[in-house]
Amino acid sequence: MSQMTSIDTVMRTLADPTRRAVFERVFHSKEISVVDLTRGSGVTQGAISQHLKTLKQAGLVTERPEGRHVYYRVQPEGLEPLVDWMDHYGAFWRERFANLKTLLKEIDP
Amino acid sequence: MNGNVANPNTQDIVIDEVFPHAPSTIWKALASGELMNRWLMAQTGFEPVQGNNFSFQTPPTDDWDGVIRCQILEIIPNERLSYSWKSGAQTSAGYVSRLDTIVTWTLTRHDAGTRLRLVHSGFVLPKNEAVFKNVNAGWSKVIPKMIAIAAEQSQM
Repeated sequence: MSQMTSIDTVMRTLADPTRRAVFERVFHSKEISVVDLTRGSGVTQGAISQHLKTLKQAGLVTERPEGRHVYYRVQPEGLEPLVDWMDHYGAFWRERFANLKTLLKEIDP
Repeated sequence: MNGNVANPNTQDIVIDEVFPHAPSTIWKALASGELMNRWLMAQTGFEPVQGNNFSFQTPPTDDWDGVIRCQILEIIPNERLSYSWKSGAQTSAGYVSRLDTIVTWTLTRHDAGTRLRLVHSGFVLPKNEAVFKNVNAGWSKVIPKMIAIAAEQSQM
């Protein structure tokens, strides 16, 4: 169940509405700069930068510096923990079915 | 039972397999604490009666004690065993990876023995809809889109 922590991280990161809004804007743009993200957001550039930093730490976005600007784009792999959740239990139960089969052979050959 | 059943955003894991054993033999493995320890996970407190609380200890994480808490919801010998399966951080925030699910085992007679069906239901992605209330589509739609974007980019 080691994936628990990364799922938590993703969930917690996206729980903040402003940060989620930032993430969604990055998601809808192929690539976007901090300046563009700040425009019309009603939040300071510093705040946007902080949210981007958190998103980056959670593996949800990547950055590409170019001259005086830094561009952000989503990193879809960052969402994998959410998808993996069911995969994880799917694999868990398949493994348990195999154990059960072995056990049943032992107790009822 | 709980609200998950009515929630269209939940998903189930279903595994169905025919075993060459009588239902009563399989039942013994499903509904005995000692045998569960051998094929499922080491459990504590399992008693085959409705309302019984039992648990599994898994490795803890930063904000979760690692305990999977279960309660028997329905028990019909040789036919059906259903228990809640709750895990994850139980903090009040609501957005953490809390699992509030149900595991149901159903046994039916089959020519070759017994059909055993497992349904692990109630996976909510995400647990708290409010987390994504600003996203028009649910995660299940967002993720494939994102994967498509990733695929597109990898071709560039």
